[in-house]
Formats: sequence, C-alpha cells, structure tokens
Amino acid sequence: MKRHTRHVTADLAVIGTGIAGCAASIFARDLGLTVAQIGHSGAMAYTTGYIDLLGVLDGRVLDDPWSGLDALRSTDACHPLARMTNHDIRTAFDRFVRLLGEMGLGYTAPGDRNVSALLPYGTTKPTLSLPDTMLPGSDALHRRAPALIIDFEGLQGFSATEFCTNMASVWPGLRPARLVFPGLEARPVFPEVMARTLETPVAQEQLADLIQPLLNGAETIGLPAILGLQAPDRVRARLEQLTGATLFEIPTIPPGVPGIRLREAFERELPRRGVLLEPQNKVSEAILRSTGVDLTVQGALDDLRIEASAAVLASGRFLSGGLKSDRYRVKETVLNLPVRQPETRDGWFSAEYLDPAGYPVNKAGIEIDAAFRPLGPDGVPASDRLFAAGVVLAHQDWVRQRCGAGLAIATAYGAVQAAAGSINAR
Amino acid sequence: MTSLRETDVLIIGAGATGAGVMRDLALRGISSILIDRSDLNAGASGGNHGLLHSGGRYVSADTRTAAECHREADILKRIAPHCIDDCGGMFVAVEWDDETFARRFPDHCRDAGLPCKELSTDAARTREPALPGTVIAAYAVPDATIDPFALVLGHVDHAIHLGDSAYLPHTAVDVFEIANGVIEMAMCRDLRTGAETRIRARQVINAGGASTMDIAQRAGCSDVKLLYSKGTLLVSNTRISKGVINRLRVPGDGDILAPGGTVSLLGTSSVTVPRIEDNRPTVAEIDHILAEGTQMLPVLETTRFIRAFSGVRPLLAAPDAGGNARRASRRFLLFDHEDQGLKNFVTIAGGKLTTFRLMAEKTADLVAARLGNTAASTTSTTPLPQGDAIRWTEPGLAARDWYRRADPSDMIMCECEMVAQSAVDDITADAPGAESHMSLKAIAQRSRIGKGACQGAFCAMRVTSHLYDTGVYDSRGGLELMRAFLAERYRGVRPVLWGAQLPQAELAEILHCGLAGLDLMGSSTTGEPE
Amino acid sequence: MLKKSAETATIDFLATARALLPEGASYDACVGCGLCASGCPASGMFGMDPRRFINMAMLGMNEELSTTPWVWACTQCKRCAYICPMGIDVSLLVGASRSNWAKEDKPKGIVRSCAAQMLDESTSAIGLRSEDFVEIVEETADELRQNDPRFAEIEVRIDKPGAKFIINQNSREPAVEPEEMAPIWKIFDYVGADWTYASKGWAAENFCMFSGDDEAWRDMVKTRVDAINDLGAEIWVNTECGHSFYTLWKGIDRFGLEANFEPASMVSLYAQWIREGKLPVNSDWNVDNLKFTVQDPCQLVRKSLGDTAADDLRFVVETLVGKDNFVDMQPCRSANYCCGGGGGFLQAGMSKERRAYGKRKFDQIVTTKADYVLTPCHNCHSQIDDIGAHYGGAYHVTHLWTLICISLGILGPDERKYLGPELAAIGLPDPQ
Ligand SMILES: Cc1cc2nc3c(=O)[nH]c(=O)nc-3n(C[C@H](O)[C@H](O)[C@H](O)COP(=O)(O)OP(=O)(O)OC[C@H]3O[C@@H](n4cnc5c(N)ncnc54)[C@H](O)[C@@H]3O)c2cc1C
Ligand SMILES: Cc1cc2nc3c(=O)[nH]c(=O)nc-3n(C[C@H](O)[C@H](O)[C@H](O)COP(=O)(O)OP(=O)(O)OC[C@H]3O[C@@H](n4cnc5c(N)ncnc54)[C@H](O)[C@@H]3O)c2cc1C
Ligand code: SF4
Ligand code: SF4
Repeated sequence: MKRHTRHVTADLAVIGTGIAGCAASIFARDLGLTVAQIGHSGAMAYTTGYIDLLGVLDGRVLDDPWSGLDALRSTDACHPLARMTNHDIRTAFDRFVRLLGEMGLGYTAPGDRNVSALLPYGTTKPTLSLPDTMLPGSDALHRRAPALIIDFEGLQGFSATEFCTNMASVWPGLRPARLVFPGLEARPVFPEVMARTLETPVAQEQLADLIQPLLNGAETIGLPAILGLQAPDRVRARLEQLTGATLFEIPTIPPGVPGIRLREAFERELPRRGVLLEPQNKVSEAILRSTGVDLTVQGALDDLRIEASAAVLASGRFLSGGLKSDRYRVKETVLNLPVRQPETRDGWFSAEYLDPAGYPVNKAGIEIDAAFRPLGPDGVPASDRLFAAGVVLAHQDWVRQRCGAGLAIATAYGAVQAAAGSINAR
Repeated sequence: MTSLRETDVLIIGAGATGAGVMRDLALRGISSILIDRSDLNAGASGGNHGLLHSGGRYVSADTRTAAECHREADILKRIAPHCIDDCGGMFVAVEWDDETFARRFPDHCRDAGLPCKELSTDAARTREPALPGTVIAAYAVPDATIDPFALVLGHVDHAIHLGDSAYLPHTAVDVFEIANGVIEMAMCRDLRTGAETRIRARQVINAGGASTMDIAQRAGCSDVKLLYSKGTLLVSNTRISKGVINRLRVPGDGDILAPGGTVSLLGTSSVTVPRIEDNRPTVAEIDHILAEGTQMLPVLETTRFIRAFSGVRPLLAAPDAGGNARRASRRFLLFDHEDQGLKNFVTIAGGKLTTFRLMAEKTADLVAARLGNTAASTTSTTPLPQGDAIRWTEPGLAARDWYRRADPSDMIMCECEMVAQSAVDDITADAPGAESHMSLKAIAQRSRIGKGACQGAFCAMRVTSHLYDTGVYDSRGGLELMRAFLAERYRGVRPVLWGAQLPQAELAEILHCGLAGLDLMGSSTTGEPE
Repeated sequence: MLKKSAETATIDFLATARALLPEGASYDACVGCGLCASGCPASGMFGMDPRRFINMAMLGMNEELSTTPWVWACTQCKRCAYICPMGIDVSLLVGASRSNWAKEDKPKGIVRSCAAQMLDESTSAIGLRSEDFVEIVEETADELRQNDPRFAEIEVRIDKPGAKFIINQNSREPAVEPEEMAPIWKIFDYVGADWTYASKGWAAENFCMFSGDDEAWRDMVKTRVDAINDLGAEIWVNTECGHSFYTLWKGIDRFGLEANFEPASMVSLYAQWIREGKLPVNSDWNVDNLKFTVQDPCQLVRKSLGDTAADDLRFVVETLVGKDNFVDMQPCRSANYCCGGGGGFLQAGMSKERRAYGKRKFDQIVTTKADYVLTPCHNCHSQIDDIGAHYGGAYHVTHLWTLICISLGILGPDERKYLGPELAAIGLPDPQ
C-alpha cells in the first residue's frame, strides 16, 4: 500500500498545541499569515483555567504584576517576560482573553492588580485573569460573603469540607454540603462527565432541584468546576436562574474540566479561523533551511510535510515532551537545540523540598535572543526563521512564579511578531 | 501535661527487633509498652532490602551467620508465610567477575548446610529473562523476600491482642531516672503533642537499632559500640525479576536485585557514616549502584526508578574490620549491662532482619528470667496471625482485594497501588497506633499509599481530602501534614529524577504549588485575600 | 455476564506492552493523571478504566486483566491515547487481551460475525454469499432501471477489471434494505466515475479484528486485498463505514500484505467531487432549516485519516445542510467520543453496558439540539439510533448519501427509510 504524503505550505508553522502554540496561531492569523499547527495533548489539558501573569517574585506574593515585571527587568533580564514591554504584554493578554470570550469562554479583562483566585484545598493564588465562572468566588472571598460550598460523592480532588475548613480563618461564612450527582450514584465520578452531562437541560434542572433545599438563605454557591465544557457561561447562567443564587466554580485537581475546555475550544476554533491544525501528532522531524523550516508529521495512515517560511517552537517542558532527559542531560526534543541547564544531575533539584528559591532545573530550557530566536550551540541564533515561545524557554520558573499561561501568551506574541518580521523581510 | 504509665517491660524502638521482643514476651504472658520516637519501622526495619537471606551472601566469609540466616528463614517461612514471598534466588557471576571465586560457591554453601543448585546460563536466563548473555556462572539458592511492614504490624498487633501490652508512636525516651542500679522511670516525650510521658517498668529493653548506642549512653552504659553503615537502594516502577538475583563475587555495591512484591529493589551501597542522621540517598550513590548493577542486569539502564532510600545499619564494631563496614560483623549481641551497674536494662544490637526473631527470643529469655517468668519462647512455632487492619502493606493486595470485591462505591484513593477508601478506614480504625489523629504519614506507613509511580503526588491529596471529610483533620494542620509527608517522600525521590520520573515530578510540583499552594504556606501573604 | 474459563492462559501485559507500544509511549511513561479515564466512556464498567488497566499491568495483575470482561466494553476507540499527554494507547493491550480469550468465552455475537465472514470469499458478517450478493445487486439495479427513467441506463458493475474505483458495501443493505444501495450508485453515476464492486471481499465489515482473532483478520484482509489487486483498481473506496476502513489498511500494514491500490474514504471523495463541481449539491432543499450534527467515526477520523477527514466531512455536511444549520458536537473531530457501537460492542450482546457507554454520546447529541445525526458509519448509525430510542431522543439518524441525493433531486421514494416526516416526501412529485 502506498503511504501518502500530504504537502502543505504555510507562512508559519507552530510546533505545539499548548497555550503558547494556540496563542501563536491566533496572533499569526491576526497578522494575515497562513498557519499550520502541530501538536498533541499536553500540559494545557491540566490547567486550572486561571491565566497568571506574574503572581510571585522571589517568594513574595505580588499584588501588582506590572510593577513586578518592572522589577524583573532590572533583576532578571534573561527572564522571557523581561524581554517584552508591559505594553506588548498587555496587548497580547487583552487579545487572547478577548478571543477566549469569542470562543464561548468568558474571561475577566486583565486589570492592574492580581486577584486572589480560589484553589481546591482552601488556599488561594494570585492570578490576573479568570474565567467568568470562577470570578464570583474571588469576589465572595473579597467580601467575605457567606457561601455554600458543594462537592459530590465519588468526586476525587475536591472536598467542600476541606475547602471550608482551610478557608475558615480568612473566610468564616462557609458551609460545606455533599450531593450525589444525578445518574452517577455510588461510583467514581469525573468532573468531565458531570460537566458533559450538565450541558443538557434535564441535568441542569435535576441539579438545581438538589441544590434548592440546601440553600437555606445562601446567596452564593461554590461548586467544583463542572459547569459544562463548551459553554460554561450559559450553563452557569441557567443554573443561576434555576436556583436564584450566584454560582461560582473552583478548579479541581487533574483530570479537571478547565484545561479540557481550553483544549476543546481551540480544537474547535482554530480550524474555523483557517489554521491547519494537526492536534494528535507530534513533529517527528524538523529541518532548518535558510528560507524556512520543513516539518514532517507521521500520521496513522499518511504523512504530512509542511514547508513553512518560519516556525515557532512552543513544545513545552517535560510533561508535554518538549524537553526530556536521560540520566545525564536535559535535551530539547524537536531540533535538539542546546538546553541551558545545571552542570550535572545533582544540580537539577535542591536538597530541600519546595526550596523557596525554586529547583534549578525549573529554569532549564532553551535560550533565545531579543528576537525570540533560539540560540544554537555557538551562541548565535540557530536560524533566522526559527522562534520559540512558552515554557520551553529558559530562565523562568512558571510554577513558582505563577506566570504559566501569561508567559505562554506574551512570548507567543513576541515570537510571532518577530517571525512575521522575518517573513516580510524576505 | 504529664502522664504516668506502668508496665512490666518498656521496649524502646519499634523496629523488627522491638516488635519481636514485644510479641515474644506477650506469648510468655508478660505485658509491655513499646515506644518509638517516630513510628513502626521508622528505622532500618523500614529501610532495608527486604531479603530473607538464605545465607548465601555470607557463606564465603561467615559460615555461622550464613547457617543462622538459613535456619531463621526456614522458621519465618513457616510461622509468617503471608509476610514472605518465597520467590527463590540465584547467585550469578558475569563476564567481569572472578570465575574462580564463583566456582567455590557450592563448596561454601555445603559448609554452611545451605542447599545450592548449579544452573546453566540458559536455565538461568529462562528463569530470569532479565539476565544477559554474559552470565558465566549461576546457582539457585532458597532466598526469599519479606515484607517488614506486614511483619512488624503483625507482631505488634498480635502482642496487643494477647494482653495489656500497648504501642505508643512518636514517643521518645529522653532520660532515665536511675537509682540503686535500677532504672526507676523512663522520662519520655510525645513528640507530636510535646507532652511528657513517664513510664515505670520493671525491665527496660533498648531495641533502638542504630540508636542503641545513644540510648545506652543515656542510661550511663558505655559498652555498646556501633559502626554506622549507610546503605542505599533504588525502587523500580515494576517488578523486574521473579526471584532474588545476587551478584556472585566478593560482596560489593549494587549486587542484589530483590523483588518487593510489585516492584524491585536494587542495592545496596555501603559507606560508613559518622552519624545516623546521614541517611539521605544521594545522586552519586544512585549512579554508583546503577553502574555496578547494570553490569549484571543491563535492563536496569532503561528501567524507570521511582524512588531511592537509605538506611543505616547498626553494625557491631569488630576489632578486625577497621573502617570497612562490609567486613564488620552481621552478628548480633545482647548486652545485660550488669557490668555497667544496671540490673533492669538490656540492649539488643546488630544483627539482621532475617535473624530478628532469634534476637528477640534471646532478649526475651534474659528479661523473662529476670522477671522470674520461666515460660519458654514459642515464637519459632506460633503462627503469626493476620488481621484486617494490618494487611494493607502487601504490595498488590489492596488492588486484588478491590478488584475482587468490585464495589464501585468504594472509592480508590491511591490509583497507582489501588488502595481503596475502605482500606484507609480500616487502618485509621484498627491498626496499631490508631488514634483519633492518624495522619496521612501513619496511614501510608501501614499501606501502599504513596509507594507507586506518582510517589504520593495524587494520593496524598486524595487521602488528605478524605481525612478532612471524616473529621480526622479539622484545621490547616492537615495541609501542613501533607506537606511534611511529601517533603519526606521527596528525599527519596530526588536522586532518581530523570527520564520518565521528570514529567511525574513536574506534575507533582504543579499540583502541590499551583493547586494546593504548599510552597507559599507559611509565607505571610499566602492564602490571605488582599 | 461474560466470564472467562479458568484454564485460558494469562498474558504478561508488561511484556506485551513492550512489544506493542511504540517507543516513548510505553506504560512506564504514565504519570497517573487520569485524563484517559475521564475521557473514556467505558470508565467505571466492571470496575475498570484505562488508567486502572495500566496500573494493574504495572502491578502485575495479569490474571485479572486477562479475564476482565471490560476488554469487550472498551471499543478500542483510542480516545485515551488521544488525550493522554504521553500518547499511551490502552486499546492495543485490550486487543491483546481479547485475542487471548478462548473462543467459547468470547461474546458470541462477535465470534459469530467473524465466523460468518470466514464462510466464503464474500467476507460478509451476515453470511451473505458472493453469488447472493451478485444476484441482489443485479436485481436491485434492474428494479431501479425500470422504476426510475432517469437511471434507465445506470451501470452497476461487478468484477469489472481495470475500473478506477472499487467500492465495498456494508452487508446490511444487500441483506436487509437493498434499495439503500441505490443512492451510492446514483452518486457514482452522477459524477461519471468508473467503478465496480468485487464479488469477492465486497463486504464492508470486519469483526475478526474485534473478536481478537488475528489470523482471521489477516485472512479476511488478504481475501479483500487479493480481490482488489486482481481487478487492478487504482483506488479502493470505503463507503460510509468506519471500521472496515481501519481494519483493511491497518491489516495491510500489520500483516505486511502487498496492496497495489490506495485506500480512500467515501467522505473524502464526496468532498473532492463537490469541490470539483462534479456533485453540485447545496442546501436549498433545507427550507425548514433543520439542524444537523455529525458523528466523526473514530475508525475513520481519529484512528485513520485524522482531522483531514473531519474537515472533509464538515465541508460536505455544511454544503449539504447550510453552514448555519450545522452544529458540531463537543468534543468532535479527532477528539470525538466513540458512540459505543464500535469494537464489536453492537454485536457483543452487552446492551446494558453498550447503552451506558452511549449515554455520553446521547448527551452530546441532545446538547446540539439537532434534528438529524449524520453518521458515515454503519455501526455509529445503529448505535446512535438505538440510544436515541432508549434514552428518548427526538433525532433521526441518516446517511450522507441520502442527503446528497435529496439535494441532487434524485432520491427515490423507497430510499427514505431513515428520514423523518419532515423530509419523507421531499423532492417527490406531488401526489395530486
Ligand atoms: C496542573 C496544571 C495547572 C496549571 N495551572 C495554571 C494556572 O493556574 N495558571 C496559569 O497561568 N497556568 C497554569 N498552567 C500552565 C499552563 O496551562 C500551560 O501549561 C503553560 O502555560 C505552558 O504552556 P506552553 O504552551 O508553553 O506549553 P505546553 O502547554 O506544555 O504545550 C506544549 C505543547 O507542545 C506539544 N509538543 C511537544 N513536542 C512536540 C513535537 N515534537 N511536535 C509538536 N508538538 C509538540 C505538546 O503536545 C503540547 O501540546 C497549569 C499547568 C498545569 C499542568
Ligand atoms: C540498607 C539496608 C539494607 C538491609 N538489608 C537487609 C536485608 O536485606 N535482609 C536483612 O535481613 N537485613 C537487612 N538489613 C538489616 C536490617 O534492616 C536491620 O538489621 C534490622 O531492621 C534492625 O531492626 P531493629 O529493630 O533492630 O532496628 P530499627 O529497625 O532501626 O528500629 C529501631 C527503632 O528505634 C527507634 N528509636 C531510636 N531511638 C529512639 C528513642 N530515643 N526513643 C524511642 N525510639 C527510638 C527508631 O525510630 C526505630 O524505629 C539492612 C539494613 C540496611 C540499613
Ligand atoms: S492519560 Fe496517560 S499519563 Fe494520564 S493516567 Fe492515562 S495513560 Fe497515564
Ligand atoms: S480505547 Fe476508547 S473505550 Fe478503550 S480505554 Fe481507550 S478511550 Fe476507553
């Protein structure tokens, strides 16, 4: 049987379907570039849904991420976020968040200050933009508004009692309750399944009926993130209408809903916006040419060959497979670019658990120049047509600094601007 | 707050030896209080290779120890079969090794009375497909492995059920009140609450493992002299071999791959350390063990390891050993301390897990005699009972049990090892050490929780939530205990973080920081709204 | 309930995984996140889910995995591999486990279907023999020629050497509803394509892969490949079916067979012909703005052609029903959930589990509020029809060929079995 190869040309190839990759595709389409995007499921599918910009710096929780960025520029000029102006970061952020809204996932517009976002264990984190379904939770916390917190039998990864207990010192008026999700009795239940079910009017009514008798005057209700997948704002509005209370979501541990929402929204939206999306295969070979980048993708039945004038590498870290290691070194997997990293494995992780300084390996990654071009072994850009974005970049510790999605969005913007420049200069 | 407790015998140290003595005494009708500054198996008994030695490893150097191991292993296989995987073992020499040494192995075995059967390279590889083609000699021996957690839980549980013996976790002995050559009171401290517990016992047994020297000194005895030998082991994600595979050479590092139920343990290293606190596994040790181990088993090069751990062997300082721990004696010694001027204090030190029963018997013989009890030890014949709350340490048991019961409403808390909520509830209700506040760590010590590939990344969170749900935790302290548990796991995880374990660790860090905020706990701004 | 007899062998699943899974996607890479289980409609049945399958393999629970009836509830849809960041594919081991069941313990229906396919060279799961097929096709074609003057000359060829296209045919039509074959013929006729059936290996189903009988799977694929090679067709067209496509190309790949043709999906051909103007379809007929959704068959999209097939499918459907009348299910395309009819589930006799599996699909469909579900796959068609009836859905399930013929104004009066009342009479001459 002849194995087919589909040939495609594009202005820009985007390697990776995480937040950085999807943001890059969108920004590139905005500039009128043709885009082919390749990737697989990855870290994005786990996310809480919060879009952080910069929440923690040197172990301190930041109230104002923008001045935090200013500080970062003076103390850590290599940090990928320090390579961009606040203005550009804001532009990128604004556009991305607006786009999510167009896709049916309403988000709060990024403001000047971080917001305390709720976490499932009754702690909070600083973030900049949150889903509309989660915002009322932060508001309620801010006002110390009494609230009913609901969890579900068989749901692992969120306990209302735990949430209320751990919140008690800062938010006293919380009351936990447990429900059996209609149709999912006496069995383990996944948030995704509840969310999918809650998209049907019948399930919405059944749940509202269960919630009603618990209300007891409560005007605000917190639920794990299960309010639908494709149109959470609509599901929430409907449940609010049925219960007469304000509803908010609290993210759960994986496998949770917010990350799947994002992934499915992009899978739906990117092709609609003219992106050639290959969402279930990784790039198996990448060749840098002086006039662009050639990529090969092995599909199940046929192969795809993409000739692009430029490429953005947004392949993530270990979880997503952009970086991998053996017992000795950390490697970049797509182009074998040099990875900045500690000398030996002994230096990857600190002796102390959750060392406040962050584990050194967290800052490993690929080095870029001011134009987001990855550096080759000799310290000069590996190609004029290759750019990089997202958490594959070195010099950042997104987990500790609470800057994951924001860094992905901002650097995607920076990389696409630079890539467009290189294409237009041709 | 101070409390006073009285008992016939105070046993310090809840490792295999202390637990063994407790049960031996109870079977003779003598009640005791067993204390541990941490918890069951917190010392070497919880940090060893789990080999129920056939004796093969010692035949060339110490025929007596070898024969002793062989005898004791046989007894344990009879009285506690549920704690033992009678998987058999093999001694294997590969191309690098001294063939002349290897060929003398059967003779040494014969001298120690140990059965040993020569295997052709093919036969060896059929039995253990992980072996390479470079095997030059192979002999089968009756090695087995033992689950020290099931063993110790079983002993303590049995003793408690036999009479009014008690076990007190997180209780450390501080000082002894001594008068007229008699320890009148052991002043102990509950390290969790800080409360003082005074224990008056007619006899005091020091079974503190590596700490016996220190404990003896607190009682004014300077006769216990130990050498601390740190040993490090790696745990693989899956079971690599059917039986124990020993390297047939002069005992060295990375010589033994022993199954541990559903996983395999590779080890050990041996370095003499000045202090017993030096028991973190290091990257250098791991690399060294792997370099040695892969010579015998190349498959280890691509094996996923999920954790490492170290234990400190308390070896009796033998005059001829110099600093070489491998040549120090693996025998044990019972100190009656009478020449130190004490009449009701004994120390049992040295030895091996394999010989713990014998050590306990000898100790109990002395103490019983001092108490005027003439009953003989029956531990070599009395079967060790099993129980619902103490069976969960067996690898794979929780999973098989759950699958058999197939009760979908019994939620699985630890997916890697498939430990269900009902098991957690059993343990919190009934396992030795159960109190109203059995923590995640204590539950993990009595089950497989936290021992699978994710090393607690998920199950720590799920069990913690459950403990909040059931009211065991009622404050943020629950999160702090979770952090402490994870911090302890991290010590063992850190040196094996490469390959498949890196994405796992990355996800764990994102969960614990990004979703639980553990990194910011304690920082002034955490969790507080602006 | 299904039960495996004790004496059948136990598989070493880790060793099997090492042999079957591609490098990098080994079970050892699992981080235990549960995304696979959360997205698998078979999760929870018999206490199992894909993550648990992996963990049990790691724990060496080979006996349990070798005997769990769950392997017949997993449809081998590969949704788990799709969402797993590590790309871990549980379906391969499920296949290995199925193979290991003794024939007498396997679900009778799947075994029977495979056995029927091995009866003669027709490879039909209903046991329709070659000569019967030929006869039915010829009879049906004659009737068409007589009844519809527009198709008085239509050629329906069998075993024509050198035809460009060779097409297969699901047994359901010749055996149960032969008139449903006509729309496809009309479409081929309309575009003037040079096509033929083969009298051998014509059937568009393959339950031997699902029954876990690799040898039979191979034999059947070989029968089909030989027939296609012998006739010298350039392109083998899989009509509206999913698994017959996957099992053929995968079988060719896996068993190293020599195939001198290219496999193509009917859906892609529709798309191509519409783009080329050969099939001038549009949505003018949909005056009531009926809403349509579409099922992306796992076997065709996720497991074979990927989103290219999903794009083609949407292009065809949107052209046919109008962009605004098309509503996607969520998730869809390569991420789509299996309907629960695949993997031999429909044949396995486990209707309780099958419908529980299909509940998720049902919810998805209901959420779209669509009047019609288009299913370019026979298994999806039957399953979605069945869960609709079972859970009280108000939708109809239809083939693409029906809509194409409606739009072209060539749908015969007896080719409307799957249309609802709104469309039952569309395009027919007014009875008055
Ligand atoms: C549990 C969890 C919680 C999180 N919570 C938050 C939060 O609260 N706030 C926040 O701001 N961020 C959060 N994040 C982070 C965020 O979701 C993103 O993961 C992060 O921003 C990284 O984005 P990225 O696009 O750079 O990389 P990734 O999301 O890691 O994406 C990398 C992509 O590259 C693909 N890839 C890898 N190799 C190849 C190849 N060879 N060819 C093609 N494609 C390839 C992968 O398949 C993947 O799609 C969270 C993440 C996790 C895991
Ligand atoms: C790396 C390694 C591998 C080994 N492998 C094997 C093997 O494969 N087979 C084998 O047979 N043997 C093996 N051994 C030896 C075996 O583990 C030990 O000999 C045996 O476990 C010792 O048991 P124990 O009860 O005497 O001491 P421990 O298990 O160390 O118990 C002492 C207990 O005393 C407690 N304690 C200490 N101080 C105080 C105090 N002040 N107050 C209260 N409590 C106190 C500690 O918390 C501890 O729980 C190995 C040892 C090591 C280190
Ligand atoms: S999705 Fe993949 S990594 Fe996650 S549990 Fe399933 S198999 Fe393991
Ligand atoms: S192949 Fe489909 S049904 Fe089977 S485990 Fe994977 S997702 Fe579930």
